Amino acid sequence: MADDMITEGMLDMFIFETEQGLETLENICLESRDAGEFDDDHVNEIFRIMHTIKGASAVMMYQNIATLAHKLEDVFYYIRESKPENIPHAELLDYIFEVSDFVNAELEKIKEGAESDGVADDLIEQLDKYLKKIQGGKGAAKKEEQAAAPAHAPEEEKPHFYIAPVASDSSHFYSIFITYSPDTDMANIKAYIAINALKGIAEDILFMPSDIISNPDSAAVVLEFGFKIAIQTTEDADRIMELINTSSGIEQVEINECTGQEFLEFCTEAESKAPASTAGEIVLGPIEQPTIRTDAKKPEAITLTEEEEKGVEAVKEAQKEKAEKPAPKKKKPAKKAETQSFISVNIKKMDLLMDLIGELVIAQAVVLQNPDLKVPGLDLSNFKKAAAQLTKISSELQEAIMAMRMMPLKNTFQKMNRIVYDTSKKLGKDIELEVIGEDTEVDKNIIEHISDPLMHLIRNSVDHGIESNEKRASIGKLEKGKIVLEAKNEGGQVWISVSDNGKGLKRDEILAKAQANGLLGNRSERDFTDKEVYNFITLPGFSTKKQVTEYSGRGVGMDVVVKNIQEVGGVLDIDSEEGRGSTMTMKIPLTLAIIDGIIFSVAGTNFVSATNTVTEFIRVDEEQLIIEPDGEEYVMIRDICYPLIRLNEFYHIAGGKEKISDGIVIILSYEDRKVAVFADGLAGEQEIVVKPIPSYIKKVPGISGCTQLGDGSISLILDIGGLVDKK
Amino acid sequence: MAEEISEQKVLDDKAVVEEKKQYMTFRSCDEVYGVSLENVSEIIGFQQYTEVPETEDYIKGLINLRGKIIPVIDVRIRFGKEPLSYNDRTSVIVIQVKGTVLGLIVDGIEGVVEFGDSEVAPPPSVSSLAKQAQKFVFGIGKSDGEVKLLLDPDKLVNDNDAEDEEKDEDEEE
Repeated sequence: MADDMITEGMLDMFIFETEQGLETLENICLESRDAGEFDDDHVNEIFRIMHTIKGASAVMMYQNIATLAHKLEDVFYYIRESKPENIPHAELLDYIFEVSDFVNAELEKIKEGAESDGVADDLIEQLDKYLKKIQGGKGAAKKEEQAAAPAHAPEEEKPHFYIAPVASDSSHFYSIFITYSPDTDMANIKAYIAINALKGIAEDILFMPSDIISNPDSAAVVLEFGFKIAIQTTEDADRIMELINTSSGIEQVEINECTGQEFLEFCTEAESKAPASTAGEIVLGPIEQPTIRTDAKKPEAITLTEEEEKGVEAVKEAQKEKAEKPAPKKKKPAKKAETQSFISVNIKKMDLLMDLIGELVIAQAVVLQNPDLKVPGLDLSNFKKAAAQLTKISSELQEAIMAMRMMPLKNTFQKMNRIVYDTSKKLGKDIELEVIGEDTEVDKNIIEHISDPLMHLIRNSVDHGIESNEKRASIGKLEKGKIVLEAKNEGGQVWISVSDNGKGLKRDEILAKAQANGLLGNRSERDFTDKEVYNFITLPGFSTKKQVTEYSGRGVGMDVVVKNIQEVGGVLDIDSEEGRGSTMTMKIPLTLAIIDGIIFSVAGTNFVSATNTVTEFIRVDEEQLIIEPDGEEYVMIRDICYPLIRLNEFYHIAGGKEKISDGIVIILSYEDRKVAVFADGLAGEQEIVVKPIPSYIKKVPGISGCTQLGDGSISLILDIGGLVDKK
Repeated sequence: MAEEISEQKVLDDKAVVEEKKQYMTFRSCDEVYGVSLENVSEIIGFQQYTEVPETEDYIKGLINLRGKIIPVIDVRIRFGKEPLSYNDRTSVIVIQVKGTVLGLIVDGIEGVVEFGDSEVAPPPSVSSLAKQAQKFVFGIGKSDGEVKLLLDPDKLVNDNDAEDEEKDEDEEE
């Protein structure tokens, strides 16, 4: 399409705005689902959204989107104006979702640089029928010119900056002549703003010069000869005036009503690209029509934010203004209606800031723990004071950047709403979704990682968690199928749980399957705890579902879910009660970057473990050590037996302490398991900045990363999960 | 001495516009190796590294380069020579190839030499080189009557895939 006139920035903006519009649209629909109808605010909002999408996509020459949006807008126009009763709400919702899906799919194509080639003719037809249906219900009421208008051709032969003509009898034709004050910057853009404003009410609109967007030189033409618009609309001149006047820099606006014949003449003139004409030629008003002229009080105003007050008075004369010099081509941002209290920042900049703060934290530790300070007899009282202040500021700084990266789970949860709606509808199940704690905030990085697993868990619940309506009725489950999606903060972690009141996991079935796959080994079935059994479903290729459905049952899924969660350092907790439902809980750390760690050393090598994984450290006597015949060692602490990992043996580090009573035992917990780790001694505690092990070094089991300590040396971060698995 | 000469050469050659590539040369065992200057980001003195367990013996560990954590390898061990205890002359050449940073522990730095493409001969098939070093050498250049074995930095950085063939190779000079 018209790529040459569409800049990258415009495209980004279009995609961003449209996506936001669609998101709001879906939310409104889901909100109103239970109410069974849209209230007036919703109708207005949807109308506004479709209107915006229509306008924007027409500008961007995506006629397929524009046409579809226009159709839906028509429907809502009718609903807004005529307020028909008994609209089939569910049907309408479906149409809205279909429209939203279509536009989303097209946006996806556009984002990837492909042509937006989807054809929505069927959908338009359906919407048309729907519109007829609700109109039929109301009877021939009021004026329905807009709604009753015949559908326009889906594909425009010639892409032009006008909305496809919708002829109707009660519309009027106006010719509009706008002059801008001579020192207006980018008059072409100003003119374009006016066109954009008018598009909302226009059935057809044409303007001269017609190349205001593609040709920056047109600014000069607009300044010199004024800007001419011919518009066909059902609105009156006052409304047009109101719309045009939102733009700054306008010196004079003249609106004349004209006939359809003249309108067509203008079209031909515009299309033949007649040389820039003067006002006289275009002011077509032959009869004594009322002409409106506006005098801008501050014609020289060029600042973008300034809202101009315009006095409107009826004057018959036309004036024309000649500009001596062309407008400078310096780019200025498009006028914003209001100042935003949000700014969007490239995530890379945030990451950089995060990294720098990490460096700062380390540098601070280097200074504050500097060995030079350990000279005996040094008076450090002032230093200590200053150090305390520095520590306070840097920890506040750290919190601030963390807070900046925190985003509420709201958006993610709202998407789940849609999934429940779609999936349950297709499966014919009556399911309600309850969302708790959607304001819980999580690091942006983490949100990106949990969206997919969450979607999967929800689908699982809808598809095989909750029974079909008939099944529920037959087994006497009276309550409606319900999924509860809950997020809460729990000790430095976020717990996101999906629970359903469906049939739960069947222990026997899972065990049988595990047996068949040879996963049980020598242990008897009774040995397995419920948790261990449920964890089988997270293994790749493990599905007890006999039938593969569109949504789940392929046996890929739970393992991917778990992998995704593990990537952000989280775990998946499965709990279930057969016949009563199951709960899947994702336990995810709040943040990834900076953690509190406890440092311990083994023969000169330092290891760090996150403080919240350390249960205790304890000195152990020889008597507490239990050695099995196969060489496995356990330590018995307060009647609890922990498997022992000697880090020096595990990693073949020479020179570590051998006698258990010489070193220290650290009890580390991972999920529900606990292990005892034997090290030479504790080296300290520090806030550590997690860094990946350079890729040159291949993955070492039990080590998830490295960090820099206060003295500048490097310490390895223990990954207890990996340690336990290796063991 | 050698450094002075090569520096002089650098100055001379700047006047003449020639398509010559500069190589950082270093000594490891009795050989002089060269690595393209484009890939050398800096040279630092030897510093204490943190060992990473369960890695190949030539990977000595990690060092902290102004907040950046980079792995260091011992070129001697990598090339199948006897390791030497580190001393004052031991240096670390930090090379960077396509975003991967790696420190090379070498016996000592020689200087910078220049070779045009035509002056670089392909490596001899049979040579005094240890077999393990051979796969990193892409060419041989001669200057000041000395042979410089030019290393392919790409292979140095991405040699993890070729681990199978190492170990137990003969190490004759």
